[in-house]
Amino acid sequence: MKDGEIVMQMSEEKGTALLGAAYRHLKVSYPKFFKMDAISKAGLIASEILLADERERFVPREDRAVVLFSRHGCEADDIHYRETITDGNYFPSPALFVYTLPNVVTGEIAIRNLYRGETSAYVLEKFDAGQIVSIVSESFEDPVTDSVLCGWVDCADDNNVEALVFQVENGDGEEFTADVINGILTNYK
Amino acid sequence: MDVTTKELKEAIIAALNLEGMTPEDIDDNAPLFGDQGLGLDSIDVLELIVLMEKKYGVKVINPIEGKHIFGSVATMAEYISKHSA
Repeated sequence: MKDGEIVMQMSEEKGTALLGAAYRHLKVSYPKFFKMDAISKAGLIASEILLADERERFVPREDRAVVLFSRHGCEADDIHYRETITDGNYFPSPALFVYTLPNVVTGEIAIRNLYRGETSAYVLEKFDAGQIVSIVSESFEDPVTDSVLCGWVDCADDNNVEALVFQVENGDGEEFTADVINGILTNYK
Repeated sequence: MDVTTKELKEAIIAALNLEGMTPEDIDDNAPLFGDQGLGLDSIDVLELIVLMEKKYGVKVINPIEGKHIFGSVATMAEYISKHSA
């Protein structure tokens, strides 16, 4: 969903399988998508939906930061990678271990959109709108930052993927508060 | 040993963990690297070298040849077919 409107509806695909289906449905052309881990795919798809109507995309910019939060970070990738190296005769696959960092998803979004501002990822004990507001607000202390693509992107396992992303801009609009985030979340549940 | 491009694509998808991609998504002659084609990068070359050695027993002896060998699925399949036992 985007701004309360249904963007796509799929009945058969669930969890991580939904992400590949969404990629095709949205006609995103970014082959690197298939190399990504689930949390990066979720973040990328969510950001594609969010940014689809933006007037100028893929123009290098330093004023937009990407700040994301999750509960599980890259835990699913860590477990998957560990499974591949338990056998004594293993090859440590770069295709897997490059994703055993929880901040890769923010980098993937920044690379895709040519953002050169701050990227950071935080692992929280649980979804906490107040903490998200506090950390995102600090990003604006950097005078270069005028816009933050932020939100919650979490992948506990192949069947449990969550993504809620939004943009926060410097300006005179609605104040960015925990109530605003909780309000968005309530509308989507 | 002749290697078909379909078989090689399946091996590449497995080796690079390209979840959700099918052999039909990959053009035989599309570049493997860069923004066009499969969008692979230098790290992925390591995986492809290991794939060629482990699965087909083929080594890349001359690094200068690498650019051509890993140009596309078709050029990789051709090299493997020519050099495998």
